[in-house]
Amino acid sequence: MTGLGRIDMDEATLIALADIWGGDLRRWPRAEAEAARCWCAANPDRAERALFAARQLDAALEASPLPDVSIALRDRVIASATEAGLKVRSGWPALKKLFWIGGVGWAAAACAGVVFGTTLGQRIATERQADVVLEQALIEGLDDTAVLG
Amino acid sequence: MAAIVDPDEDLVRRVGQGDPAAIQAMVVRKLPRMLALAQRMLGDPVEAEDVAQEAMLRAWKQAPRWQPGKARFDTWLHRVGLNLCYDRLRRRREVPTEAPPDRPDPGPAPDRGLLASELGQRVHRALSALPDRQREAIVLCHYQELGNIEAASLMSVSVEALESLLSRGRRSLRRTLSDLAPGADA
Repeated sequence: MTGLGRIDMDEATLIALADIWGGDLRRWPRAEAEAARCWCAANPDRAERALFAARQLDAALEASPLPDVSIALRDRVIASATEAGLKVRSGWPALKKLFWIGGVGWAAAACAGVVFGTTLGQRIATERQADVVLEQALIEGLDDTAVLG
Repeated sequence: MAAIVDPDEDLVRRVGQGDPAAIQAMVVRKLPRMLALAQRMLGDPVEAEDVAQEAMLRAWKQAPRWQPGKARFDTWLHRVGLNLCYDRLRRRREVPTEAPPDRPDPGPAPDRGLLASELGQRVHRALSALPDRQREAIVLCHYQELGNIEAASLMSVSVEALESLLSRGRRSLRRTLSDLAPGADA
């Protein structure tokens, strides 16, 4: 009953296997479970009787409760990861990287703003000077030397 | 030889890289299993906690150098836990004690009735009274839900020997718990 090859299933074999693996076919080795499922589907009443005793014991075994993991134990185990030499990554480096990238972005935007502002300012000043020249040129009695110096 | 499919492979890799979320996830996934294994093997909650903590410590040490595809991490961890239990059982035999310690009675709680607690105690005592190897077979196959080949390998026995241990263990439990499992003592 090693789970290898084809299993010839009958009631006696089903009882013998349930005696080993219990009444829940999900706990059985794959080949045996498959053969048992086929036999049980074809003989539901006999299967019920054959598996009854094993299922009763399974139910009794389930009365043994799972121990609870205390918070203290959980915390000790998590803390032991660092003691074991695991280099636990902190969330900060990723955050710092994000801030650094963001900072570079802001600085680049600020520089671009200054360059744009200076260029625009010079252009406005030049245009304004040209307007003044034109305006003054329309006024009689003044020549370009008086306006431009 | 077919490659071993390990559901823990990705988690172990991330633990080995020191990913805090993976470490938390590993604790959630494996610590209750290790505690249950040790509790049922040793029958002593304090010793069980020590074993579970030590097994997890070894898991942290192993994770950075874990080579996937050779074995399942859960099987490896069970081997570690079992070896730790064997050490303690051996020490008990060398230094005989009066009786195996009882599980502390949690007492009646709103979500855990007295009857369920009593049943649990009886099953616990019946398991504790089994010979070590029979108890180990039942713990690995029934409670830890390991496959037959995996459990046999962990116990260093053939599958046939494992089946024999399981059959004898279950028969003994049926006799002890016959009133809890009517019809199961046939």
